[in-house]
Amino acid sequence: MNASQLRASVVGVGNTRYATMPELDAYDLGLWALKDALEDAGLDFSDIDGLILNRIPDYQRFAELCGINPAYTLTTPGHGRFSGICIQTAAAVLQAGLAKTVALVYGNNGKSAGARYGGESDNYGSGGAGLWFPYGMTSPGAFHALMWQRHMAMYGTRPEQLAKVSMAFRHHASLNPQAVMRKTFDLDAYLEARFICEPLRLLDYCLINDGGVAMIMTLADRARDLRQTPVHLAAFAQRSQFVDSTFPPEDFWREPMAQAGAETFAKAGISHADVDALMVYDNFSPTVMFSLEGFGYCPVGESGSFVQDGRLKLGGQFPTNTSGGHLSESYMQGWGLNVEAVRQLRGNCGERQVPGAEFVHYMAAAPVISSILYTNHEQ
Amino acid sequence: MNNKDTTLAESKPAPAKPLPSADDPFNARFWDGLRQGRLMLQTCMDCHVPRFPASRHCPHCHSELCDWLAVDGHGVLESFCTFHKAYWPGFAADVPYSVVQVRMTNGVRFYSNLVGVDTPDIQIGMQVQAVFERVEGSDVTLLKFKPNAQGAT
Repeated sequence: MNASQLRASVVGVGNTRYATMPELDAYDLGLWALKDALEDAGLDFSDIDGLILNRIPDYQRFAELCGINPAYTLTTPGHGRFSGICIQTAAAVLQAGLAKTVALVYGNNGKSAGARYGGESDNYGSGGAGLWFPYGMTSPGAFHALMWQRHMAMYGTRPEQLAKVSMAFRHHASLNPQAVMRKTFDLDAYLEARFICEPLRLLDYCLINDGGVAMIMTLADRARDLRQTPVHLAAFAQRSQFVDSTFPPEDFWREPMAQAGAETFAKAGISHADVDALMVYDNFSPTVMFSLEGFGYCPVGESGSFVQDGRLKLGGQFPTNTSGGHLSESYMQGWGLNVEAVRQLRGNCGERQVPGAEFVHYMAAAPVISSILYTNHEQ
Repeated sequence: MNNKDTTLAESKPAPAKPLPSADDPFNARFWDGLRQGRLMLQTCMDCHVPRFPASRHCPHCHSELCDWLAVDGHGVLESFCTFHKAYWPGFAADVPYSVVQVRMTNGVRFYSNLVGVDTPDIQIGMQVQAVFERVEGSDVTLLKFKPNAQGAT
């Protein structure tokens, strides 16, 4: 096979509704999404010979429920950074010949199970979180609030600029029937939203819901024979920043993002200007600003002016999180964004379609940095 | 401390705030130090890099040799955030309250609170120094910070 046949491709995507569904557990939600993805791909459970799970507690039980005996199995913790890791791992598994058809399945019943990201159950980053509870320090939201406060102090970025991130994503969600929050809001409404952990307001936080997402991946040579227009991984890269990661990184994860971004663009042989849409991991809106700077879409410290005039909105230079993202569609920990990248490249996005999209860049800024460039180009 | 309604406070004790885990032998020397009014940090005896929280191996050179040394209490305020939501009932009467992120001169970082400064007066880049604040009704002393009077730099 030549290099383009050896690329990994997404041949099926699926998802559940995103809502509060107490009658369904993570296995049910994952299986629902997987059935949807298999149907989309025109494949059957018996075709799956690689299984990669995220957030679903037990791989054995899940495979038993699916009635399958995959050759390759992996399960990963329910941290958002693992969506990018799983997709890159699936590509590596395919390219190593360990499996021919990999199902990636994510199931999250966090809303109904009462998952909390702050307070006693907070274990963000390290087991050391409890050391900071006596000072009232808790939650990933506070961690990002500290980062954003520092960014504003260093570069003069302003709340009115940050607002443009969640305003753009809400606009996109208003065009996405499956988004949880579809009512648009203006700058005044953003500024009037209550602070959760200042400088972050309610509208800077992602939306916790129950839901499931699944993807089916094969190598490109097999993808060509399947039902859908294949979407290929043109390039991908990963980095980490674990040293001293109990505290916010001095550089807003800029160095590992710069490395992952440079590697991605070099492998794909394209530049930023060739990218048609961005899918940026948006657990909190400042993460989008850090990502735009780190991955080189704008100069360091200039994300505020970069976003303020509508660049991230449909019709702008880099339509971003066209599904509404975690802030307005639902917090599916990166999976929903990767599925949206695929749907954009298939031209399946209806009112929110980016016309003629050929390259979509998924990026995640966290202690694990992921960069995945998707394309519908055959070469 | 808040003094919004002392009558209520007297009739019904405020819910307690979380305290450091008693079941944490690794960091016991740190809390013992604070109780005695000293900032003690686990320090690698091979590469001399101090660290917190404590760990068996030095993350820098992986040595197991370490000792607990009293260190200088000076640092710089790297950032702060202000909680408007109380994640524990014990903080409900305090919101909005601020948490600061401090880098000590020796590079070790802490989350803490700044005492004697109202939130609007907190400045990133402020020079700060350690203070030791006893938690009422317990034998715990917390490491907090105050502006450094000589903080000209």
